[in-house]
Amino acid sequence: MSSTLDALINRPYEYGFVTDIESDALPKGLNEDVIRLISKKKNEPDWLLEFRLAAYRHWLTLTPPEWANITHPKVDFQDMVYYSAPKPRKKLASMDEVDPELLRTFEKLGVPMSERKALANVAVDVIFDSVSVATTYKDKLAEVGVIFCSFSEAVKEHPELIKKYLGSVVPTADNFYAALNSAVFTDGSFCYIPKGCRCPMDLSTYFRINNGESGQFERTLIVAEEGSYVSYLEGCTAPRFDTNQLHAAVVELVAMDNAEIKYSTVQNWYAGDENGVGGIYNFVTKRGLCKGINSKISWTQVETGSAITWKYPSCVLIGDNSIGEFYSVALTNHHQQADTGTKMIHIGKNTRSRIVSKGISAGQSNNSYRGLVKVGANAADARNYSQCDSMLIGATCGANTFPYIEVHNSSAKVEHEASTSRIGEDQMFYFASRGIGAEEAVSMIINGFCKEVFNHLPMEFAVEATQLLGLKLEGSVG
Amino acid sequence: MSAVMQSIANHDAYLAGLLPTPTTPYEWLNTLRTGAAQRVRTLPFPTTRNEEWRFSDFSLMCKTVFAPAIATPALTLTEIAPFLLPEAANSRVVFVNGIYAAHLSSAVLPAGVVATHFSAMLTNETLRAQLARHATFQHEAFVALNTSHLQEGALIVLSKNTACATPLHLLFISTASTTPVASHPRCLVVAESGSACTFIEDYVCLPTATPSPTYFTNAVTEIVIADDATVRHTRLQRESVAAFHVGYAAVHLGRNSCYSSNSITFGARLSRHNLHITQSAEGANCTLNGLALISGRQMADTHTVMDHTQPNGNSAQLHKCIADGGAHAIFNGKIFVRKDAQHTNSTQSSRNLLLSNKGRIDTKPQLEIFADDVKCAHGATVSQLETEEMFYLNSRGLNANTARNLLIYAFAEEIIDKVPVASLKQHLSHTVSSQMGEIV
Repeated sequence: MSSTLDALINRPYEYGFVTDIESDALPKGLNEDVIRLISKKKNEPDWLLEFRLAAYRHWLTLTPPEWANITHPKVDFQDMVYYSAPKPRKKLASMDEVDPELLRTFEKLGVPMSERKALANVAVDVIFDSVSVATTYKDKLAEVGVIFCSFSEAVKEHPELIKKYLGSVVPTADNFYAALNSAVFTDGSFCYIPKGCRCPMDLSTYFRINNGESGQFERTLIVAEEGSYVSYLEGCTAPRFDTNQLHAAVVELVAMDNAEIKYSTVQNWYAGDENGVGGIYNFVTKRGLCKGINSKISWTQVETGSAITWKYPSCVLIGDNSIGEFYSVALTNHHQQADTGTKMIHIGKNTRSRIVSKGISAGQSNNSYRGLVKVGANAADARNYSQCDSMLIGATCGANTFPYIEVHNSSAKVEHEASTSRIGEDQMFYFASRGIGAEEAVSMIINGFCKEVFNHLPMEFAVEATQLLGLKLEGSVG
Repeated sequence: MSAVMQSIANHDAYLAGLLPTPTTPYEWLNTLRTGAAQRVRTLPFPTTRNEEWRFSDFSLMCKTVFAPAIATPALTLTEIAPFLLPEAANSRVVFVNGIYAAHLSSAVLPAGVVATHFSAMLTNETLRAQLARHATFQHEAFVALNTSHLQEGALIVLSKNTACATPLHLLFISTASTTPVASHPRCLVVAESGSACTFIEDYVCLPTATPSPTYFTNAVTEIVIADDATVRHTRLQRESVAAFHVGYAAVHLGRNSCYSSNSITFGARLSRHNLHITQSAEGANCTLNGLALISGRQMADTHTVMDHTQPNGNSAQLHKCIADGGAHAIFNGKIFVRKDAQHTNSTQSSRNLLLSNKGRIDTKPQLEIFADDVKCAHGATVSQLETEEMFYLNSRGLNANTARNLLIYAFAEEIIDKVPVASLKQHLSHTVSSQMGEIV
């Protein structure tokens, strides 16, 4: 490992962005008045306020979950600001002003030059105008009837859809963080794919350029009507800085008859420094409902950031012949902790699910897979295959597997496999003997390990994700 | 809500209601018993809210009040003949409802081998040094309850470098009685360095005819295996289908020692078996095999913990469950590989057959690994019989029922075949086949 690289990677992160404190922020703390105020500021209809209040009242009766294999100091929910108007970031004049660390990351990841500017918040030039690109996209989507807008916009423009689907997959009373999110969520995305429509573009492409500040309590709702298809990507390979310690998002997906939703996540939030100081707590509830027959929901995630990740994207397979998939790569380094996995709830007949989870732990981190495969009594001929592989890099990290398998139907077939491995000295020696340096060798081994998951990412992200893992692991081997 | 709270409070008080009153003449034992009784009073009755008991609901047993057995019914050797093993004709220790039965026991053993009951030798140094040292009761309400009753139990001691060729049979018989009885059997097995033995821990019920008696067995076994020693352990649970059975076994392994376990569960309405193995020195080897074959309204829960704390340890586990009717089989196997346990090689496989739509199987193989240079793998499957296999047998002229029974028999036989005592193996095969109906 070259010492220059070492020095670079081990340098403390500096926040590259200036955040102006908005005068429009509420004081710290949470009570019904705060929720009423949030609702009022956003001009929300009464039913949404009631939704929030009901969630809040339920939240008060709950205690934070402690079953996950993570440790962190207690979060003080009264020591947080629950609403502040979107903060305009200071525009930078040229790429020269951008944090060199960020530039290096872009370089490593191979992010196209045009997008780098948008991501780094540099004023864009004439040739690449994100606004006009966005408009083009918007026209294209409107043409086929796809609704894709911010959550607040959707509440105003399409209240009937929001009213129908909000909380239908993740009820307000689902869990502690989902209840909190339902009470205080500020914005998010809404996506509606009409009957028979195959979304003309990966919403990821659109998203990457237009993705604003997602906010601390994000809410995403995607509805795919009969026979439709959409591929959606959230997050970004580029490191994201955020001063909010706690993130509790809720994502709800609904797939009707013959519909398919492909949801990909690349998460690279600030993970804290190498001593485990700082970093984001990412406590997310994601669930997809395969409501119709032959529907399909596929989750793909690459989790590399956050100090703590607590996340179980799930599929509830209600429709007969519906399919749920989960492909995950979770990488933890330094003092990161991840407790992540999925739930596959088979309810309809002939439902199928597939889980491929790859965990990589390095440094002093702790990486857990926690999954549930449940086959209900009426889910005849349900089929599940799960595979979770862990890789340990160094002797001070941990890898855990907690798969729950609950079967109530005798015609079900459920299989689970797990293995643990490490980057062996012999493998490294082999690479070295072929003239391949340590860093590249690790990257190649990791790539091979994660290939099955990366294959399911939208193409451009697959390439970047590969680089990202190598980048995150720099300095851990060799 | 208040009704629920009330019932939980009742459950918590339930175990305290099973505590003993008389004390023993030994001060050290009384101290131990009092400490355990204290834990029984403070630990809650395990409910499904407790992660470790998430799937096994024992609240049903709280409806019955169990009393300790006072006198042993006069059983004869002829009556217990179906349970006797010819291989262990002179190496048998028998307990009836938790009380030692001298006239049914027979222990004519080679020098260096002790197989007896321990109430008369509570001053013995080995016993005092090891008893209740391994099965800790701080977090286990049922172990605490057993320890609070501690006075009698089975004891096996193998002196240094002694190999006992004959299998040692520890037979625990429960009988039908007018009031339901609770017994708290205890076993202590100490294998000193370089020794080897095979023992059978056997829980049975008399009479075997219906109606099945209701009783409660709460067993605790401690096995201490010193350096280079070998212990082969077969545990049979053939309780009545109306009985409640909770078992806890703690195994402590020394350097280069070997432990193999065959745990077979046929009986009890609700049963739970905890097997907690600690490899406390380098190079220990463990082989764990388990089978639960249940039907009707039975529930069988097996929880194992394989704790690798030192380098170069091996463990291989295969657990099978077959659930028919409305039965509910549960398996939870934890494998820990601690920070120092480099070069550990550990495998675990949980294979389950669910034969009925009213039945239920919950399995949770669990790995927690904190060392990097290790080989660990686990797998779990739940399914019914393979249609291809059925088709093959049908094509050979076996009707559907026979084919089904043959396949189930073969599935169970993989575990039974590993039982190291010939007569017992044959007997168990017979039990399985008769349960399946005549097949051969």
